[in-house]
Amino acid sequence: MKPVDLLGKIIEISHSNLEITSRINAILNIIAREMDFDEVIVFTYDEDKRLTCKYMNQKSSLFKILCTYRCHIGEGIVGGIAQKRMPQFFSKRDIPLRFGCLFYPELDGCIEKYKTFSFLPLTDDSYLYGVLAACSSTRETMHDSEKILLSIISREVGGILKAYELLISSKKRISELATLSELGKLLTSNIEPHALFRNIGLIVAKALNASFVTIRMEHAFLKFDLHRITYGEIDPATENHVNRLEKDAIQQKRAVTLKNYLLDQGDASPIDISMYSTPIISKNKVIGVITIGGTKSQQNFILERSEQYLVNNIVNYITNGFENTLLNSKLRDVIEELNNAQKRLIEQEKFRSLGEMTANIAHEIKNPLVIIGGFAKRLAKKVALDRTENRYVDIIIKEVSRLETILNEILDYVKETHTSREICNMNDCIDEILYLFSSVPTWDKIEIDKEIDCNLPTIMCDIQQIKQVFINMLVNAYEAMHGVGKITIRTEQTVLDNNPCLAVSITDTGGGIDLTAIDDIFNPFFTTKEKGTGLGLAISNRIIMNHLGRIEVKNMAGKGVTFFVYLPLKENTIKEEFL
Amino acid sequence: MNAIKILVVDDEDNIRFLFKEELEEEGYQIEMASNGFEAIEKVKGSKFDLIVMDIKMPGMDGIQALNEIKNMNKDQLVVLCSAYGEFKQDFSSWVSDAYVVKSADLSEMKQTIKKLLEIN
Repeated sequence: MKPVDLLGKIIEISHSNLEITSRINAILNIIAREMDFDEVIVFTYDEDKRLTCKYMNQKSSLFKILCTYRCHIGEGIVGGIAQKRMPQFFSKRDIPLRFGCLFYPELDGCIEKYKTFSFLPLTDDSYLYGVLAACSSTRETMHDSEKILLSIISREVGGILKAYELLISSKKRISELATLSELGKLLTSNIEPHALFRNIGLIVAKALNASFVTIRMEHAFLKFDLHRITYGEIDPATENHVNRLEKDAIQQKRAVTLKNYLLDQGDASPIDISMYSTPIISKNKVIGVITIGGTKSQQNFILERSEQYLVNNIVNYITNGFENTLLNSKLRDVIEELNNAQKRLIEQEKFRSLGEMTANIAHEIKNPLVIIGGFAKRLAKKVALDRTENRYVDIIIKEVSRLETILNEILDYVKETHTSREICNMNDCIDEILYLFSSVPTWDKIEIDKEIDCNLPTIMCDIQQIKQVFINMLVNAYEAMHGVGKITIRTEQTVLDNNPCLAVSITDTGGGIDLTAIDDIFNPFFTTKEKGTGLGLAISNRIIMNHLGRIEVKNMAGKGVTFFVYLPLKENTIKEEFL
Repeated sequence: MNAIKILVVDDEDNIRFLFKEELEEEGYQIEMASNGFEAIEKVKGSKFDLIVMDIKMPGMDGIQALNEIKNMNKDQLVVLCSAYGEFKQDFSSWVSDAYVVKSADLSEMKQTIKKLLEIN
């Protein structure tokens, strides 16, 4: 075949849409056949940037041996060619029997028969993609024209490799971008944290071909049942290594790797495992750690720099997005809690009015009952009745007593003595109450002014009861102002009787309390309202007394009233560590 | 020896009547008032060893009357007697000497009265 035809054929193959290995191998076959070579082998970079033979002509016998070796750039003859990027041609006369890269014991007896050796770099003008080596047992020398021909062919093969590399890297980049975009979508969504991490695990594992991805959250502020979310399965024998790696990553605040750790499999051949662990850092605080692991046998699971770069990118994404998710989830919690509080309050209000009604009825019944029972007893005492009549009176007395017991039980139940102690942030508590009133249309003309101490310590109290006290006071203020005016709510930390305490004051502009009434306002049944029960402040007072606190009133005649609620911190404080 | 004088204050006629009958049987001399104002007037007019006072009454309620009576004479024995059991725990913050929950069984009231009179 003429050189022009040969080149034509090679270009045709190189532009065909065959798979890359078939294309290059076909070219190598043609070279071997047309130019009398026994071996035509192409070395390319492997994932460690080392040269290893990847393509060969069909009849090659050296490939089997050579493919077990890998050499660095500059190492041996092949490495040297890669470094210098200059072709080199040897005939048997020019070289020692063993040389360069071919200095491998297994090659003894295999290469002696060759008479010429040709090595050419596969390169465009800026990058080297590999090295082509050709040996011939029949050719004594290489002509210059053949050397040129080989150089041209090498450029063509280099071109194929370049195109392939470009394709692979853009594919990879696209998949990276796809992964990141998928993550971005996930992180900006409203998904709850638990599902978020499960999905992150899935995406990362898919992107990196990992056998497992495990995310451990260090931060307690998420209400997690699980502190570890794992996609895939961690071999029990590997678990210790995962834990150690995570610990290192958290302590050092940077990514750590465990490479090619051999996991003993008993009789079976050991598994080669690599792991990569990187902390998730938010505001200089480690909030979690993500660990990716895989085995060599898993196709393509390699934690090369480019992959680590991807993982780090992902972690950055997670950190940013995570804060967003956290905010979202906190917001959702707050809204949910508010809704619940509102529901509870409505329920309670219903129950309270029902309770009040029941209590009123019970009390109304009680007096006649006392009278009936009392006189029945007198009857039994006074009159000498015969046996039957005695029994009748006895029955009346017993039934009255039974009714009294029932009434007392009802009253006991209605008055809600059961208190529960919870951690309470008074500012939040007040906000929740105000939120409720804000939705009441008749409160439109009430201006509410808040003077809040943001550093108020939390206390332990029965939140529902405390809310009842403030709601009662707010309703009183509203009624005193006939629906128009200003209510000032102030929270502060102060001292009462030498004890640190928390004070909430509610001031209205309702003109103040009549001086003749001021001493009686806490008395049960005392009321200035047309339809009041007179129980509101009395019950409020009892609730605050149960909390070892106190209610005080400051009356500004003609202006308004301030109610101060003092709750001692000592008995009601909780430790900060809860937060 | 003069009989022990007790003032029964309650807005319900029949309760007053019941208390009067029962307490007279115990040997006390009973007078009655149907609200706070009336009670104060009676106290101003004559001396009582003890007052049994209902809380919820029209006009002047029992607690207001209690405070006023105690202001006039802090040693005046007053037993609050109400159908409301709930306020029994609050009674310590008031100036009454005892709190009895109203019941058809009057023995608790009688005992409380007896004890208070014995101590004082």
